[in-house]
Amino acid sequence: MKKKDKILVKICVGTSCFVQGGADLLLYNDFLNPELLDKFEFEGCSCLDACKRVDNATGDETRAPFVMVNGKLHGNMNPEKLNKLLTDELK
Amino acid sequence: MNDIFIDVDCSQVYKHGQKIGGDVFLLSRNPERNQIVAILSDGLGSGVKANVLASLTAHMAHNLSFSPMDLTHSAKIIMDTLPVCKERKISYSTFSIADIRYDNTAERIVVNFLEYDNPPALYYKGSKNIPWTGETIDLQRKGAFKKELLHRQTFNLEIGDRLLMFSDGVTQSGLGLSMPLGWRIGGVNKFIERTLESNPEISSKDLTKAVVNKALGLDGLASRDDITCACLYVRRPRRTLIVTGPPFSKESDHILGEKIKAFNGKKIVSGGTTALIVSRLFEKKLKVDLLCWSSDVPPASKMEGIDLVTEGMLTLSKVATHLEAKTPVYDLPNDPVKKFIAILEDSDQVHFIVGTKINEAHQDPNIPVEIGIRRTIIGRLRKALEDNYLKETSQEYL
Repeated sequence: MKKKDKILVKICVGTSCFVQGGADLLLYNDFLNPELLDKFEFEGCSCLDACKRVDNATGDETRAPFVMVNGKLHGNMNPEKLNKLLTDELK
Repeated sequence: MNDIFIDVDCSQVYKHGQKIGGDVFLLSRNPERNQIVAILSDGLGSGVKANVLASLTAHMAHNLSFSPMDLTHSAKIIMDTLPVCKERKISYSTFSIADIRYDNTAERIVVNFLEYDNPPALYYKGSKNIPWTGETIDLQRKGAFKKELLHRQTFNLEIGDRLLMFSDGVTQSGLGLSMPLGWRIGGVNKFIERTLESNPEISSKDLTKAVVNKALGLDGLASRDDITCACLYVRRPRRTLIVTGPPFSKESDHILGEKIKAFNGKKIVSGGTTALIVSRLFEKKLKVDLLCWSSDVPPASKMEGIDLVTEGMLTLSKVATHLEAKTPVYDLPNDPVKKFIAILEDSDQVHFIVGTKINEAHQDPNIPVEIGIRRTIIGRLRKALEDNYLKETSQEYL
């Protein structure tokens, strides 16, 4: 697969994402389904500017860590969720 | 900040098998009085006893150098005070004192140099050794067990000049092994001249390390005496700028950009949002380096024109912790903190531009680690850099 055909996944490595689970996501090579690794391109991002939207009142949905897949922002991410998200993205 | 920097550093290896050394090097900078004092002392014997003697000598010389007293008189006081060795029935330790004074612009640097029984110090202009022309003073102290000759010289240091001091472990290295009479001062001189020719801008730290490693090699990697080399080098300062935190108001962003552009030296941007601002201002792409991180330090990024781009608070507090503990760079894992500290150790003057905007996300009580206050961490960094690494620091808020 050529690089440009791959779907871009941006992982936020800003302070609040990193300390709330973002560090685990950087180990994507270890926990992702090996088939997925080939279909996505992974990139770090110093801040997705999503942390400012975090609000306890809105529940878990918008909490750190954030990941952007194909231009769409996803919050409250963890390795299992990311695996599922990327699998769904390919369907 | 001055436009001239006096780089003083020292390397040392103890006698093989010893956990404590009989060579002591003391350095102190007193910026209020425009004075730097560097002292190298070698105590009689080796191990604890030698260390006590050398420490005593070095500290006395150090304190006396800051008094208005004449150096020759100070030397007499030191020799009169030293305790007598039980076995050898003499009190003895060697010393070299370099009392450096400069005026406010540091354009004129005067060194008052005094030496007693250490191998002669070497003075270089560029890579060329300049022979000594100083006077020799016979102390004629009462109760002296031998002729006590002090060598004394006052001279001016200019940009590119170096002064190297050694303990006898350097000049006597290889004695009876690879060389019948040891390395001797002539050999040391040749080695330094060659090193300076191939690397004219070598720092004091690297040059002294090279000399000590060579001496250790001549001793067959098992030093037979404490080996110490200290160097004093006058040069233009290496500067580093650390930009951390976004400016309080958006309108100040371009001021930040101009300040970064105008700065002559290495540049570090620490902070995700700050990096985005700088990347936008300079129209340069920011690329996160996913190979360089560790479990508690987020990855660094790359940007053209900036030497290092890191995350903010976590990286800075880790850097502060390591600087406070004086952790050697080679002991650190390959993460942004290591790169950060390597740049800092290699600079003489560090300037901080601290953005005062507060990141609301950091105030979230759910965050599992404590994220400190930027101002406090910068304070810690500056204190550690000044106290532990003798760097000059300054800061401004934006």
